[in-house]
Amino acid sequence: MATTDDGAFWTIIAYLISGLGFWGGMGYLADRFLKTNFLTIVGMGLGMVTGLYLIWIKFIKETPPTK
Amino acid sequence: MSHLLHMAQPAFVPPSSADFFFNPAFGSSFLATKPVLLVMFSVIVIVAFFTISARKAAVVPSRLQFAGEMVYGFVRNSIGKDVIGEEYQRFVPFLFAIFTFVLTNNLFGVVPFMQFPTMSHIGFPVSITIFVYLVYHYVAIKKKGLGPYLKEMCFMPGVPKAVYVILAPVEFLTYFAVRPLTLAMRLFGNMFAGHLLLLLFTLGGEYMLKSALFVKFFAILSFGMAIGLSFFEMGIQALQAYIFTLLAALYIAGALADEH
Repeated sequence: MATTDDGAFWTIIAYLISGLGFWGGMGYLADRFLKTNFLTIVGMGLGMVTGLYLIWIKFIKETPPTK
Repeated sequence: MSHLLHMAQPAFVPPSSADFFFNPAFGSSFLATKPVLLVMFSVIVIVAFFTISARKAAVVPSRLQFAGEMVYGFVRNSIGKDVIGEEYQRFVPFLFAIFTFVLTNNLFGVVPFMQFPTMSHIGFPVSITIFVYLVYHYVAIKKKGLGPYLKEMCFMPGVPKAVYVILAPVEFLTYFAVRPLTLAMRLFGNMFAGHLLLLLFTLGGEYMLKSALFVKFFAILSFGMAIGLSFFEMGIQALQAYIFTLLAALYIAGALADEH
């Protein structure tokens, strides 16, 4: 149904942004304190994986098969 | 060819965000600027329209009554009932107010002599979003209690315990920061970009009209684009009002749901 599709779209966007934002931000802060330069990228990668994992749980794992 | 363009008049100044700020229509208060006046006017328009359309309610509706009921029925059934489910009735007034308010203010962007979508000022989407934000958190906390609400939000079932360290903050951020942020930014961004696009083609056409003769021909194209895009914008404006209300309803539905 179109209504839930629109909602799903924005839920997915929100997860991707917050995953990237939170762990990327954490990586950036860690870089600042530890004077390293690779943790931002590592954090962003982790954030993306987290976002995708949450989307997978919400939309694939929890959805019962249609047939 | 280009030297011909440059001889005739000063360079073209493209529209910018400066075009979104107005001097007060009277006095010096910001309360007398165009966006604020438009918001006040929109409230009058909405109240007047629905008061008149509902005043002589009849079993066989007049055209006006039909129009009013169609808008109400759309919000009530397509957004309220379909998304929220059982308890939808008490949220219908809220959703209806959001929808009509956003829709009217968006449509001001293409109404002649107004031609400014109020929602292209970030403050207006943000203030509506604050209402939505307060409502859906309030509803959830009242129904589930603060502790269980946070627990359900951050710790979805069926995940190894160690992974929660990574997932919980992301979930928390989604609910408390990213959702309201995207809600406000999307409406603002769409209205801002749309208005800028119309300004560009209108101002560009006007500029070309003042240029050399063979350039004048292209002014027609530019004005044509402006008119075409105005109709396109109407679609976007209605769609954004719908999406804003729909997402508000979805967040409320999520707050009411017992489990994921």
